[in-house]
Amino acid sequence: MGLLVLFVVAVAAAWWFVGHRQGTIGDTIAVYYTKTDGVTLAPWRVSLGPARDRNSVAFYAATQCIAGPPPGTPAVRFPAATRVLTVDVAGASATVDLSHEVAGSSPEGSFAESAEFKALVWTLTQPSLGITSVNVRIDGARVATLPRGHLEIDDALSRASF
Amino acid sequence: MMRSRVRLFNRFGAAVLALAVLGVPAGAQQPPPALWFQGTRLVFEHAVPGHGDIAISTRDAGLRKFLDRLGATVAFEPQSRYVIVTAQDRRTIVFTIDDASYTVDGVRLRAPFAVRADGSDAMLPFFALARSLYVEPVPNGTETVLQPRVGTLEVRSDGPRTIVTVRAAMPLVATTNAETAERLQITFVGQGSSLAGIRKPAGTALDEVDVAVGGSVRVPMTTLTLAGVAGTTHRVIPGDGPDAFSVVFEPRAGSAETALQAPPTPFPAAPPTAAPPVVTGRSTVTDLTIAPGGDDALSVRITLSSPAAFEWHRLLDHRWYIDLSDTTLAGPGRDERPSFGAVQSVRVRQTGTSDAPVVRIAFTLAADEQIAIEPDEGGLTIVVTNVSALDAERTGSGRTGGPVVVSTPTDEPMASPTPWKFNPSGSGARTIVIDPGHGGDDTGTAHNGLVEKTITFDIAQRLRALLTAQGWTVRLTRDSDIDPVSGDNLARMRADGKPNADDRAYLQTRVDVANAANARLFISLHVNSAPFSGARGTTFYWYKPQDAPFAQALERSVIAAAGTQDDGTRHENFYVVRHTTMPAVLIETAFVTNPADVELLRQPSFLQSVAQGIANGVKAFAGAPPASSVSAQ
Repeated sequence: MGLLVLFVVAVAAAWWFVGHRQGTIGDTIAVYYTKTDGVTLAPWRVSLGPARDRNSVAFYAATQCIAGPPPGTPAVRFPAATRVLTVDVAGASATVDLSHEVAGSSPEGSFAESAEFKALVWTLTQPSLGITSVNVRIDGARVATLPRGHLEIDDALSRASF
Repeated sequence: MMRSRVRLFNRFGAAVLALAVLGVPAGAQQPPPALWFQGTRLVFEHAVPGHGDIAISTRDAGLRKFLDRLGATVAFEPQSRYVIVTAQDRRTIVFTIDDASYTVDGVRLRAPFAVRADGSDAMLPFFALARSLYVEPVPNGTETVLQPRVGTLEVRSDGPRTIVTVRAAMPLVATTNAETAERLQITFVGQGSSLAGIRKPAGTALDEVDVAVGGSVRVPMTTLTLAGVAGTTHRVIPGDGPDAFSVVFEPRAGSAETALQAPPTPFPAAPPTAAPPVVTGRSTVTDLTIAPGGDDALSVRITLSSPAAFEWHRLLDHRWYIDLSDTTLAGPGRDERPSFGAVQSVRVRQTGTSDAPVVRIAFTLAADEQIAIEPDEGGLTIVVTNVSALDAERTGSGRTGGPVVVSTPTDEPMASPTPWKFNPSGSGARTIVIDPGHGGDDTGTAHNGLVEKTITFDIAQRLRALLTAQGWTVRLTRDSDIDPVSGDNLARMRADGKPNADDRAYLQTRVDVANAANARLFISLHVNSAPFSGARGTTFYWYKPQDAPFAQALERSVIAAAGTQDDGTRHENFYVVRHTTMPAVLIETAFVTNPADVELLRQPSFLQSVAQGIANGVKAFAGAPPASSVSAQ
């Protein structure tokens, strides 16, 4: 009887482990940018420091994405001075708080905002991070769209949103 | 009083943390040197010198001021173990808490001490950070001058052209002196340099690059002399930021371009391996020749059956590869180990999937050699030189000619659509709602004298006339220069607890016009803009599955009528198409940031063509409106 209980517990533990494990975070991660056609994504890889916990790596990946690819690479880039304030990872969901500079200095077309958020969402939802949806906050607030924007960002975004 | 106590505590906390970081006993610390930057004294709230550097808090107002002057930002949050500084040119300097190394754009360097954190505060090595931002601390008597410098000098080939780009810590102020067509002297006042010396970048249109430094410690000066090979001329082109300066050297009209290599000698083909079948309609690599070029260069000639897009990447361990999208290999893969040049191995492989095949050509190099990619109508040539790239780019893309059709794969199911409530025999079966984007205080995008809200309203009025003539009942979400919003929506959105209720209420008001009328179709008109002038054309955005065929019908007819570049139909999470319950499309008609599109948007005949194209698309998708007796039910 004791062995049976032990077996059931072991199977349950194994099932839980398999169901909850994420991909392994290696020495580098992919960071996506959107090319100047506004739709094509391209990855580049960045080296990680010693920290491998998901919150640290997600914060790092998001900040690299906001910074964009190396200088000289044609890309749709987030407005200058945009910063990642916080990234909070809970389960398969991440909440990214961006500084208000992400809205830019004047209203723009849909081209840039969809290209920018597409890159951010694809960066954070890469398999090794175990994140499938991304909530966006601007200066801590949940917003329907960017001010005078088009893209709806008050619900969680995923790769299927684009 | 309370505020000053908190401030005092913060300063004390930072001091204790700094001493802990540096391992300096209290009372034994040296005073920090006087730091001067751009003619003013840089004052830190608390700086602790040690290990040849200064420990400085990420929250220090002096550090923030220094970074602001350089256009850099610092990001750190207590939950994360990374402190990331983003330079104005978007390079990132990454410190890891409790680690004595840091990276500058992926290159790992040794820090003078391990970065430590205490709550929301972290202590960084200031001099190491400054150097990463191209600012060199230079001792000058009893003080230290933080001297902005020319940080990188990049020489890259683009076909017969050679582009020289200089990047610096601060916006560059340059004076140029064109001694001859082949020779240009550029002086950057206020910038020092660590790049002094002469380079001879072989395999390019440049014969010599000379960097000389002068001036004083406080007001340095860097002079760059560029000498092109005989028969070239130069021109200054816009850099990709205020801290970048670019010059292009290219053959003068009528002069013979430099031949890069002798006629190639094909390598023997590798033994056949399983090769994928050639897919009709895709590009195919019909020939691939690896041959020696001049000056120990290696040349790879790829012949393609039709144009293809490519993307290349330079990895940190001297590997380089190029991917040809939607392309198959006609023959087997290849593994070559050339006995010449700086290329250790070349691998050619079919990768990707059967739906999206990719041909990858990968090089293992002895170092970061310069690589030139020369696309043409028949394919492309890759030339790997034996010359080290001064500051190699890591990635790039292009195409071999002709239009490139791109698609973005999605590996997840589409989000649940809003249920389609349209009833063809319902009350709104004859109604089409047109939404002229923006209005009132919300101008939309505005560039080159064009204002989005005005253009969208103009097209909407033209479209209303055309659809009315077809027999439709047409409603506009706004009939004048206003941004419509209902009081009920404002109250409801504010009551439901969602922040940013006002923006949502404005958009929902437009959606309500269509949903309340149970309209047959919803068309939202917009004008696009981009952060650069190259983007152009018309895009048709949809969200719900029922939107897609309507978007495709509009795409065909609008492009045919207006003649703009077809940027395709795109699935996008746009509010007004997502929350309407009938087939809905948001059209971005053209870009107010592209010169060609701007010329079009200024012509009333173009706006009429767009309206006509939409009206044609409506007819193609929905046919004629149902008889009045049906709609009256």
